[in-house]
Amino acid sequence: MVRWNRVLPAGFVTLVVLYLYAPIAVIVIFSFTTSPRLSMPIEGFTLDWYVSALSNPLIATALRNSLVLAATSAVLSGVMGVAFSFGLVAVRRAWLRSTLLAGSLLPAIVPLLVIGIALAVLFRAVGMPQGLLNAAIGHMIVSLPFVVLTMNARLESFDFSTLEAARDLGASAWQAFRDITFPLIRPSVIGAMLLAAALSLDEFVVTWFNIGNQQSVPVLVWGLMRRGVDPSINAIATILLALLVCLVVASNRLGRRNGAS
Amino acid sequence: MASSLAKPFRRGTSPRVALLPAGGFYALVFALPVVALLVLSFWTANGFKLIPGFTLDNYVKILTSPLYRALMLRTIGVAFATTAIVVPVAFALAYCMRFVFERRGQMILQIILLSLFSGYLVRIYAWRTILGKQGLLNSTLQWLGLIDQPLEFLIYSNTAVVITLSGLLLPLAVLPLYSAMLNVPRDFLEAARDLGAGKAYCLRTVLVPMVMPGLRTAFAFAFLLSAGDFVTPSLVGGTQSLLIGNVIADQFRGIGSNWPLGAAMAFVVVAVMLCSFLAVVALIGRATRW
Repeated sequence: MVRWNRVLPAGFVTLVVLYLYAPIAVIVIFSFTTSPRLSMPIEGFTLDWYVSALSNPLIATALRNSLVLAATSAVLSGVMGVAFSFGLVAVRRAWLRSTLLAGSLLPAIVPLLVIGIALAVLFRAVGMPQGLLNAAIGHMIVSLPFVVLTMNARLESFDFSTLEAARDLGASAWQAFRDITFPLIRPSVIGAMLLAAALSLDEFVVTWFNIGNQQSVPVLVWGLMRRGVDPSINAIATILLALLVCLVVASNRLGRRNGAS
Repeated sequence: MASSLAKPFRRGTSPRVALLPAGGFYALVFALPVVALLVLSFWTANGFKLIPGFTLDNYVKILTSPLYRALMLRTIGVAFATTAIVVPVAFALAYCMRFVFERRGQMILQIILLSLFSGYLVRIYAWRTILGKQGLLNSTLQWLGLIDQPLEFLIYSNTAVVITLSGLLLPLAVLPLYSAMLNVPRDFLEAARDLGAGKAYCLRTVLVPMVMPGLRTAFAFAFLLSAGDFVTPSLVGGTQSLLIGNVIADQFRGIGSNWPLGAAMAFVVVAVMLCSFLAVVALIGRATRW
């Protein structure tokens, strides 16, 4: 007897997951195939596209810039976001706390196009020429809401009584933070920072309006895509994908380990 | 909860000062730029030179030009079509995760959310290679002998834009719907069914009103974000399916750019989208009350 009330939902979920992952699978598979065009049937496999991708003179610069942006965004939006979440749990009025939280998440629902052009306008108004620094500031505002969201979820389930015990035993606020709070939440903090790094590594829209004529990996990929079909795009995309998956999986693991403790 | 959380902080400097760095950053890098964009929308441009002033010319130009009106209508149409796919699919998905798979729901959520971090540009480009005239789908169908000629409507069309945007935005819509459904006790649905409510009636009068906040968030994500996307139409949409986002982007990074006009367009789009969004939410709210 087939249990249709479970088989149908399972089929539906599988279809949706396929719809979400098919494009990614296609890119990875075709980064290794010999035919430069993406079509069936597949004739053979090769690493040529990786060789040609890595011999692109711009890729080294783009990769270096992307890593600098990701690191800056991870550290700075990480520190600001974690501090903000700590301040947030100390706000006693519930309406004020939820208003501040909602406000801090606002950049996540404003279209990136609007954030990108608004920042470009501000930088032009203060006479700051477009470049990496502008892009870094843009990445920080894009990542910050996600750091706040992650840390807020963690701190809501944080047992503050340990902290109170430490304070009762004479620890200063800073000592209590350094010796008790921070070691306890460290995995979540690192997880939130890795998430910020992943968001930065993948960010294109805000970057595009603020980076000027500098490169980052998504900006380089965009340029190649606009020029037409180039199989080395698949190779660069697969490298980017591998980096992103590592960051997100690590972030997720750290977040979960912390949640269990 | 709040008072017990705040307790250990009551001595010494208030930890609320920790709000300041990020608060200042938000004010300077988010609020101020939006205000600057609004001010700029009342200026004019002469070449690359900006001329300060206060004129409604940009807005008049946008609202009276048939070209911009057509682009605006197409953008709303694409956003509605995308939302009409994304929200029901996300709703059904969240329902399966919550009420059918229960404990494995969290794992399915992780898998769905992971796709969000798998390269924004990469996924759009991937759809172009799948839907293209000589792309994966057409070449596979031809190879299998199911079609003689490639299906041309698949790429460089509104269909392609909607298919691609739906894939991009679906994970974002699942998240709020699933968390809203986690707060709905199974007993409520069973009680309604036991009292004789049909499946559709139960959905309309119990489940949908109970997950309304999540539904609203999912709708906002799908609708507002699809209206602001310019990368998807420029990669998989043809010249006939450019959206208002493309025109805005061109005003800022293109030949013959006009920043004040672009700024005004951005505000018109946001206003129109926000109004359509509120109207639809009000309609859904009215249709699902009991």
